[in-house]
Amino acid sequence: MSVKTLAAADQVSRKPGDRINWGAEAARLPLYLFAVVVLIPFWWMIIAAFKTVPELMMNPPTFYPRDPSADSFYDPAFSGGADPGAGHVEGVFQRWTGVAGGFFRFAANSFGITVVVTILSLLIASLVAYMLTKTAAPGRRTVFVVIISSMMIPWQVSLIPNYLLTSDLGMTDSYLGYVIPGLAKAFVVFFLVQYLRSIPDDLVHAARVDGASEWRIWWQIILPLLRPALAAMAIFVALAEWNNFLWPLIIIRSDELYNLPVALSSLSNSIVSSPGSMGVAMAASLLATLPTVVFFFIFQKHFIKGIALSGIKA
Amino acid sequence: MTTTQTPKLDPEEAPPSPSAPRSRRSHRLQRFGPAYLMLLPFAVLFLVFGIFPLGRSFYYALTDFNGIRPPELVGFQNFSELILEDDRFHTALWNTLKYVVASVVLTITMGLILALAFKTTSLRDRVMRTIFFLPSVSAGVGIVLVWRWIFMVDSWGLANTLSRYFGGGNRAWLAEPSLSIPILITMAVWGGAGYAMVLFVAGINAIPDELYEQASIDGATKLRQFWHITLPLLRPVTVFVVITSTIGAFQVFEPIYLLWNRSAAVVGGPLDSALTIVPYLYDMGFNRFELGYASAIAWVLFFIIFLVTLVQLRVTKTFKEF
Repeated sequence: MSVKTLAAADQVSRKPGDRINWGAEAARLPLYLFAVVVLIPFWWMIIAAFKTVPELMMNPPTFYPRDPSADSFYDPAFSGGADPGAGHVEGVFQRWTGVAGGFFRFAANSFGITVVVTILSLLIASLVAYMLTKTAAPGRRTVFVVIISSMMIPWQVSLIPNYLLTSDLGMTDSYLGYVIPGLAKAFVVFFLVQYLRSIPDDLVHAARVDGASEWRIWWQIILPLLRPALAAMAIFVALAEWNNFLWPLIIIRSDELYNLPVALSSLSNSIVSSPGSMGVAMAASLLATLPTVVFFFIFQKHFIKGIALSGIKA
Repeated sequence: MTTTQTPKLDPEEAPPSPSAPRSRRSHRLQRFGPAYLMLLPFAVLFLVFGIFPLGRSFYYALTDFNGIRPPELVGFQNFSELILEDDRFHTALWNTLKYVVASVVLTITMGLILALAFKTTSLRDRVMRTIFFLPSVSAGVGIVLVWRWIFMVDSWGLANTLSRYFGGGNRAWLAEPSLSIPILITMAVWGGAGYAMVLFVAGINAIPDELYEQASIDGATKLRQFWHITLPLLRPVTVFVVITSTIGAFQVFEPIYLLWNRSAAVVGGPLDSALTIVPYLYDMGFNRFELGYASAIAWVLFFIIFLVTLVQLRVTKTFKEF
């Protein structure tokens, strides 16, 4: 819909002969203020990451780093030991010495798991969506109803059995136990089915008449047709996986398997008693948040379209 | 309910109609074999990690189970204890209710206002929308830590600095029970308003312009247009936003776990003032290993969400009939 209707809406709000509506502009003023409020936490995080330890504890606080430093990321003056000296803390990249790669390992875990989960869950869901909408296989309605009904049940209900099952299968504290239980995503199937239903069956019929196998139709016709829907879902799934916290918190024990959220949480636990280390927490938060923001700016259109679609289809 | 449906999920095992001759059945399998193969990966994972755990969870909810000893059936004792006796659970319910109502109402109102103010494709509106949407993109553990840093007790914390600037004194934000829910609501509105806004913008721009043109010709004021055109036509989007954000709000966990935990074993904030349902479930299940009891909490959560969703759908239906 968007481009055309958005443009139309634009014209309506600025009909020729309309003067600037000062009343409306004045009414917007509090909203601009709200925009500033929305940005403040980001600004507060960024400047804290680049402040020195003494500046972090200045009262009143500074609203930009007077003496920008990257010590919160890596402090060359920090030598380790019990007394690192006033004004020095262990930077993000200096922590977790027991883990090869330290913080980078967590970022790699988060990234790898996000990519794997996104690709696999979309692939298997697209297979189901194709099967449900473009074949006449008996039983497909029942399958759809079961999948849809399961969406009503909050995932916390299966949390404990899944934890026990994962541990019975010997998969706790492993990438497998992390990834596999979350691969079958009902809402992705639902979304893809809705999308595929709006696509006429002619192409599929034509391909069948030409003797193409079901797998080939899925790969060469359905997947390309599904691209906008897959893009929207990929964003949802990837973002959720990047921020996945409770499941890894429960099943991961070893430091080297932490994803970023769990690493951040353990970091915040370990430095809660020393306010001077909050710069390190903010540096780590910045490193964990920045990729999602960059991702958003790259795929902004798909983001917005995906959300709008989800609301309109519902 | 789910256990009885489970076998049907794999249509290959669905009993063929008795009248169907064997040859037709094998013909069917041959014809739809690939289709069922396509279902297989999802179906297996979905059954094992999606459906089967539901039955198991319900069974645990009826047992006394600590994860080591085998579960011992106790009937509905967990539920009756939760509903009739458990003061901590009542606290969690009450806190959740306050949080859900306030955060959903404020998030949606804010989202609608933002959508009405910044709905066009002009550069200004696009920039503003991007700003408001940023928190939804970056929601996660990192941002919760930022809030924790903002609400630090020390006088150089941002919240305290602002509080002093506006004439209030320093406060121990995260230690005062009366502030816990307002802090959670603030974070929820900050993080969710932009998301609601995007949905409302899509809904508003899908309303045909002719309706407004016609209304202006008939002399309807902007306010009347909003009341009689925009709001009614936004109903489906509003229902969607209300229901999804309500469900999400009932499941709040991360901010509570991360803002108030001094150690992994303490969940719920000062005097349990921030204890909601899911953190309580986590506490019971993974700190105290009362797995049966925690499963019962999960099912109560389901029933509450289910009922609330039904009521919301019902209410919006009533509105429609007006």
